[in-house]
Amino acid sequence: MLEWLIENNVVCHALEAMIFASVACSILGVIISRMSLSSIGFTMSHAAFAGAALGMFLGANAQMAAIAFSMGVAALIGPVSEKAKMAADATLSVLFSLSMAVAIFLISYMEYMGKGLSASSLLFGDVISLYREEIYALAAICCLSILFVLAFYKEISAIMFNMKIAESAGVRVKLVYYVLLFIIALSVALSLNIVGGLLIFVLLVTPASIAGQFCFNVKSMFIVAPLVALLVSAFGVWAGFEFTLPVAPLVALLLTGVFAISVMLSFKRRINTKIH
Amino acid sequence: MSVIVLESIYTAYEGGSEPVIKDLSLEVDRGEYVVIGGPNSAGKTTLLESINGLVKITHGRACVCGLDVRRRGFEVRRRVGYVIQNFYFDPFTPFTAEEVVMMGRFGRLGLLSRPKESDYDAVQRAIKTVGIEDLAQKTIGILSGGQQQKVMIAHNIAKEPDLFMLDEPFSNLDFQAREFLQDVFKGIVQQGVPILMVAHAFDGLPDIPIHLVVMNRGRVTGDLSCQAEEVEEIIRKECEVKERCSSG
Repeated sequence: MLEWLIENNVVCHALEAMIFASVACSILGVIISRMSLSSIGFTMSHAAFAGAALGMFLGANAQMAAIAFSMGVAALIGPVSEKAKMAADATLSVLFSLSMAVAIFLISYMEYMGKGLSASSLLFGDVISLYREEIYALAAICCLSILFVLAFYKEISAIMFNMKIAESAGVRVKLVYYVLLFIIALSVALSLNIVGGLLIFVLLVTPASIAGQFCFNVKSMFIVAPLVALLVSAFGVWAGFEFTLPVAPLVALLLTGVFAISVMLSFKRRINTKIH
Repeated sequence: MSVIVLESIYTAYEGGSEPVIKDLSLEVDRGEYVVIGGPNSAGKTTLLESINGLVKITHGRACVCGLDVRRRGFEVRRRVGYVIQNFYFDPFTPFTAEEVVMMGRFGRLGLLSRPKESDYDAVQRAIKTVGIEDLAQKTIGILSGGQQQKVMIAHNIAKEPDLFMLDEPFSNLDFQAREFLQDVFKGIVQQGVPILMVAHAFDGLPDIPIHLVVMNRGRVTGDLSCQAEEVEEIIRKECEVKERCSSG
């Protein structure tokens, strides 16, 4: 897609992947951080990790298995929270433990059986060896995230404000909430190969947290968060290739640095001490 | 035609030792001002949330705005305004008061449709009715409890509901604000929209006939028509009598 701008295919693919993943994750991150669902990041990344392990164990495509397992976990969050009368965050922790147990069990069993499982790309990501199909899938999920927010903006904003008030107002809370969980699951599963399960959290939470330091309304957060994520990711890819540094951890460090600066500069928390 | 028809309804929470609402029947017509009183844990809030389908009715028949609540709770909520009792908005909540008032219209608008000129007009009318024009562009989290309560009332007025339910709407408001809003509610009732209000303080009720419902331990113990100044005394007597009966 960006070949007209960057000649080197590897750099081009890495840039495209980072841009699509960071935009998709940061848009969803605005919703996640407002709804106190930040743990969905590590739950979904570990669900994808467990799915990949299951795929390898069964001799199936690891990426497809990762997506399928994440979707399964996403499908469980809402109904389990409702049935067990638990906060979604508590349900996420239970499902995180389940995913982790499945992954460790399968990895240990495969080692015992003499089959190795290379989990490093899932844990730490690998922007260099990406297939074109993976980038197309990321572009699709990026567009889906943007379309989802545009189409259901009023329902999403009502849910972000207060779920009970939204439900009382007659908003279809459950429907939008379940679709949101599915899109998050899909985004995390597809982004795993790029930034890895351990760093996906950064893309989900940090850009939204940076936007939160300056934005007074949700509309501007939905614009600022992906914009920051896009610029930092693009700079991270350039710097990573220019100075031969690992791209995903570099982007994570840069985003955290920007967050630290934004906390220091934020005018939103300024206390007005002017005496009239 | 009655706006609310409840026939022997029961409501129970999961894990509860007994139903919160027991064998409760109630009928409310258009233009009625209904005050629901009674001691704590009488089931007043649960009754409101059973009426709009937020809490599941386990037995009995419930028909609100011509809709079966047990089957079409979602549609009922689109037509019923409900000001909840407890809410907290943190100071960094990224929504202005005006945006929150507009959210009252979202249910009626339905999925995938955007607010139109008529919706913006309804929001401005509601803001003006409650007298919060000066707060419209402020973020809701920085407003005082009373101001937030006014915003939530405007949120439900903007909805243009067929039934208006309020749970302790005056808990954070000063005397002047209470009197002002009672006039607003009187105007709503005079337009034919019934109001159901759960309250513990009964000063400043409007000078119109009140349909008083007294509740105790999940049951209606009094269902009568009276004047505003009689409300407090009737509730006090009803509660005292029931208390004596249950202890004796």
